Amino acid sequence: MRISDLTRLSWDQVRRRKVVTMLCAAGLSIGCAAIILAMSIGESTQKIVESELNEFLKMDEITVMADNGGGSDEAKKRGLITEQKLEIMRNLKHVKAVAPYQPFEYTQYATVDNKQGSANIIATDLNSLVSFGSTFMQGQADDGDVTGVVLSYGATMGLIDPDDRQKLYDAMDRNPYDPSVQEQYRNMMVVPTSMFNQQIQFTSTDENGKQRTSSAYRVIGVLKKPKGQSDMNISFDRTIYVSMETAELLKSELKPSSDAAESTVTFNSVKIKVDAEENVKQVEEKLKKLTVSTQTNLLQREQLEEQFAVFKAIAIGAGVFILIIASISIIVAMTMSTYQRRRQIGIMKVLGANLSQIRNMFIIEAALLGLLGGLLGILFSYWIVWSINALILSLNNGQTDISIFIPYSAIPVGMTFAIMTGILSGIYPAVSASRTDALTAIKRD
Amino acid sequence: MLRVEGLSHAFKNGTESTLVLQEINFHVRKGEMFALLGSSGSGKSTLLNLMAGLMKPTEGHIYIADHDIVKMSENKLAEFRRTHIGFIFQAYELLPNLTVRENIELPLVFQSIKPSLRKQKALKLLEQVGIPEKAELFPSQLSGGQQQRVSIARSLITEPSVIFADEPTGNLDTKTEEEILEILKRLNQTMNTTFIIVTHEHEVAQQTQHILTLRDGKLESSFRPNREKSDAPAETHAEEVLA
Repeated sequence: MRISDLTRLSWDQVRRRKVVTMLCAAGLSIGCAAIILAMSIGESTQKIVESELNEFLKMDEITVMADNGGGSDEAKKRGLITEQKLEIMRNLKHVKAVAPYQPFEYTQYATVDNKQGSANIIATDLNSLVSFGSTFMQGQADDGDVTGVVLSYGATMGLIDPDDRQKLYDAMDRNPYDPSVQEQYRNMMVVPTSMFNQQIQFTSTDENGKQRTSSAYRVIGVLKKPKGQSDMNISFDRTIYVSMETAELLKSELKPSSDAAESTVTFNSVKIKVDAEENVKQVEEKLKKLTVSTQTNLLQREQLEEQFAVFKAIAIGAGVFILIIASISIIVAMTMSTYQRRRQIGIMKVLGANLSQIRNMFIIEAALLGLLGGLLGILFSYWIVWSINALILSLNNGQTDISIFIPYSAIPVGMTFAIMTGILSGIYPAVSASRTDALTAIKRD
Repeated sequence: MLRVEGLSHAFKNGTESTLVLQEINFHVRKGEMFALLGSSGSGKSTLLNLMAGLMKPTEGHIYIADHDIVKMSENKLAEFRRTHIGFIFQAYELLPNLTVRENIELPLVFQSIKPSLRKQKALKLLEQVGIPEKAELFPSQLSGGQQQRVSIARSLITEPSVIFADEPTGNLDTKTEEEILEILKRLNQTMNTTFIIVTHEHEVAQQTQHILTLRDGKLESSFRPNREKSDAPAETHAEEVLA
């Protein structure tokens, strides 16, 4: 019997027996949608968490530190990060950017109109900021400008006159449970100040309690506001990037007693941007040959993947369970359908259909039901994902990058499960149909 | 063409056994129009089902085109029916979801014949049974007589050795009954196909060349109403069969 004839005859039955078709397809579609949704939510959550992790832990970055060896002077010297080593790192395969990364310390700064705040100062190669994933909202990097500094968006937030700040603190002390005062405090923390081209001065207090104020520095760039984070979170990332030269200048102004000579030729720590996450391990191996210490965040990623694998397995298991339940409904519906069609099967047998032809007709019918259920399931899952995304958007007032997506691999997986469930559930009714006694079937009372 | 030798059949009901056919012997010649006549309960339908391979006899042999169908497995029988046997049912038994043409083509579908060839054959047969314009209609859109014509066309499409017709006019009025019998006679003559008609109506049996009468599961008589068409005198043939 030709496949086209088998399919046509089976499709005729699928089309004709609307209730059975609807029952079977509905069961299968729920199972299929459950599998697709399980995979989609698992994958989407993993991607969201990964992107958050990338945002904070920078998976494609390697931190290189000086290796002090066993503690001996010779070993310490060998483990230093020198300009030469930096040059070798720049030329390594898969390395996109290399920049020294010297955290200065948390320092207070003030604008000309005496708005004050504090930030983490980091000495680096300002031109490499873009290579490391930062985007400028205003201005640009200029390593040649020794008085130029670059502010993260968070460093422009929460700058306030000390008197105003004190007044607010006093108000909070007086009325600690007054929501309006707390609201005022929260607003104060996140209000941005236009800092581009403004002049700022840094202040620090030495161990003797003596306050030192730096000369004026100009804000030559402000980084873009990070997406997908609350304003309060952004306000916690308060960083001011300065060039290595500016860092030396600042050090001489704020901490004149410290030894600056050594740090001009070696670096405590260096950041390396790798072209792709999967190449991080390879680059790290090469870096270790330069007798330096390295640190990556791959371990966190591996742990995360393990956790998500468990989550996905549980979710897919739930989908498969639903499909098994659905398959019972198909077996029942198709067995009933077989019973109702005994006469038709009998006529076909009398006209020359053999056991396998009857069986194949029912199995193809079951596969078609699986296909229909699968298609419906895909539609359902898109609709559900769309609804979830709409809900997430409305809960976040339309300002979020978090969304669930259906990975392409989920569609064939869901479809295969639906069709296979259809076929497996159709085997018993098909065998029982093929065993129908032609004579009993065509007998009329 | 068709030979029945020492055929007996009993239905078992628990430990009890009811003999419905006893020692039946006869043969049907190729191209003969043959009637199995008998009243209700005479065993004629059981005999038809046995000859069509839908049941296995308790004893005896049935040869169609020199093949002993009693010894065949179910799948072999299905294959045999597909190529050697045609069926005409009292209630037509057309599939309601298929068109007239598709119903006629159905036996060829089981033989994996090309759709274009099937269509060509089906349309030709529809012309022969006189309803070529009904090809794309569904059975429910036809009268009883027209449905029986479709059933006849379906039985002929595989060009079988023998066609079994179970009370082919049982559901029809007198005028349509005559029309259907005329068609069967014409096709028997033009296509030289063997027809075995099971009936309880003497008028229908009279239209055939050879009548076998059954009574209480036993062969009662065998005679040829239209002598001019018979190769041998009816009496002689009856004697030969009964012997």
